[in-house]
Amino acid sequence: MIKLFIRYINLMVITIFALVLLSFMLPFFFPGDLLTNISGITPQSLEQRQALEKAFALNESIFVQFQVYLSNFFAGDWGVSSVSQLNLYDEIAYAFPATLELMLYALFVATFVGIPVGFLSGLKHHNPADMGVVTFSIVGYSFPVFWLALVFITLFCLQLEWLPMSGRIDLLFEVKHITGFVFIDIILSDLNNTKEAIENAFRHAILPTLSISIVTTCLFIRFTRRSIMDVMQKGYIIAAKSRGFTQWQIFIKHSFKNALIPILPILALQISTLVTNAMIVETIFSWPGIGNWLIQAIYQQDYPAIRAGMLVVALFVLTLTITLEFITRAIDPTKDETARAAV
Amino acid sequence: MQRFDLYQEEYHASPLENVWIEFKRSHLAVVGLIFIIIFLLITVLVPIVAPYNPDLQNTNALLLPPAWEASGSVSHLLGTDALGRDVFSRLLYGIRVTLGSSLFIVFVAMIIGVGVGALAGLLRGVRSSIVNHLFDSIMSIPTLLIAIIVVAIMGTGLYNSMFAITLALIPQFIHQTRSFVKEELSKDYVLLDKLDGAGSVRIFFTSILPGMFELIVIQATIALSIAILDISALGFLSLGAQNPTIELGQMLSQSLNAAYVAPWLIALPGLVIFMMVLSVNIVGEGLRSALRNRFKH
Repeated sequence: MIKLFIRYINLMVITIFALVLLSFMLPFFFPGDLLTNISGITPQSLEQRQALEKAFALNESIFVQFQVYLSNFFAGDWGVSSVSQLNLYDEIAYAFPATLELMLYALFVATFVGIPVGFLSGLKHHNPADMGVVTFSIVGYSFPVFWLALVFITLFCLQLEWLPMSGRIDLLFEVKHITGFVFIDIILSDLNNTKEAIENAFRHAILPTLSISIVTTCLFIRFTRRSIMDVMQKGYIIAAKSRGFTQWQIFIKHSFKNALIPILPILALQISTLVTNAMIVETIFSWPGIGNWLIQAIYQQDYPAIRAGMLVVALFVLTLTITLEFITRAIDPTKDETARAAV
Repeated sequence: MQRFDLYQEEYHASPLENVWIEFKRSHLAVVGLIFIIIFLLITVLVPIVAPYNPDLQNTNALLLPPAWEASGSVSHLLGTDALGRDVFSRLLYGIRVTLGSSLFIVFVAMIIGVGVGALAGLLRGVRSSIVNHLFDSIMSIPTLLIAIIVVAIMGTGLYNSMFAITLALIPQFIHQTRSFVKEELSKDYVLLDKLDGAGSVRIFFTSILPGMFELIVIQATIALSIAILDISALGFLSLGAQNPTIELGQMLSQSLNAAYVAPWLIALPGLVIFMMVLSVNIVGEGLRSALRNRFKH
């Protein structure tokens, strides 16, 4: 177990190092002035240019530059955006929780709808209801996310006028930015109309969540269904049946846990799809998240912002994936302990 | 499969025929296959099929609704867009670009992925783990992020977005190939090859690759549906195909200005993307269950 842990820590450190190295190299490939790409500041005079070059050690060897980059990175000094001249660390700290929030809603829906439905339809497979679920899930994960979001907008916002179209909450509510999660912020910011604010934020969250979670839910349904069907054919299930256990007892005691094990690593792989979808949906619903922010950055060719944003999102996804993989390996006794760690 | 042959007229279907027999049993899968064939025909024959030049502007009929609406006209079956261009012709050309580039991407990713995957599977020790780590980490980086980096370095455009998506698809093939090769290497028929003195290259091409065909095809259908979705998503975010290239996602994003007056301009391109992805997924699903069940009968 400790050996396993060390192996995964090792993997994590190497991958993080590779990512940081990549983000260090990016400004050299971006078009334009290297100094502006790194610092985000366009020097107005020779003195300023020399000062900046000194700060980023551009005249030193590449190793010193990397060292400076590393120390800046860990000190939270990620430079400024070349368009707005705002501190990137603060900008990302503002935008990232919003994305995380959206992803959590989608994951919540997908887990608590997708997995139970998958179990039910896998246990009762080949009856009409199961066929319906299978058809629905194939249709569901074929939707282009951006189109689905637009269809929802035309239907629920423009035609029926049930739900708001953009943003996280109406501007009427003066919610302070404390944690970045809108519901927690509402409670913390001590408004006199907390109840209305929560209701408003909830109405704003429905459509983006729905657009992302339909695809993820359908994938969850399919994996769970397949997995439970495989487990139910195993010898130990037949043995349990022959000893006279009821269907329910078999499910709770034997098949439930065994079916979950193969699902976990597949779910880990879905994180990157989820992030991509969340980023696309954010731009459509003007959700103030990191995806929206990054795409604005690319429209404005804001290279320092692209570098920092890319690094944060990639680090987040990789850390989550490796952690999930480690958990899977740790709780699964059948896996070969000597096998190499993999993302 | 060798069997005892008592009667001359007894016929044993080859594994591939078995797959087809099993595939035909699912009507839905056959319908999906027909749709894919139609889409492929459109891709190839579009200059003949399309009723209008996709860039031709009919200034007398701007934002004409589809023919089934009261103010529609039969001369423009699916109406016209804000510049008076025929939507039906544009959709057909859009299918050509979206599907054609997706097929190309999948093909390239497949060749590279299988090659590197085989290498990773056959290699041992440090080199193998470097290759594995490198591609495993790329695999978990979201496609959109790779696309953003590629666009930032090389600029927007259809070819750059294709490059980004290829990069994102390759690791899936590598992963599948590597684990398959690793598994097969421990089997007896490979041992037999080794005893005959075959090198690892020969083992891969003559023994392992023929058995891997189906795995690759299934992975390719998955990759194709991902590629179609990603190409159109990048087109939609205007990071991919740019004007005058007609791409379905890009068509959609350009119709957003007229969304209030002409909702069909949003509905139709999205519907076509959805139909393409759905038919690819249905065929992939049918193929998978056919391969699973082909020796049951």
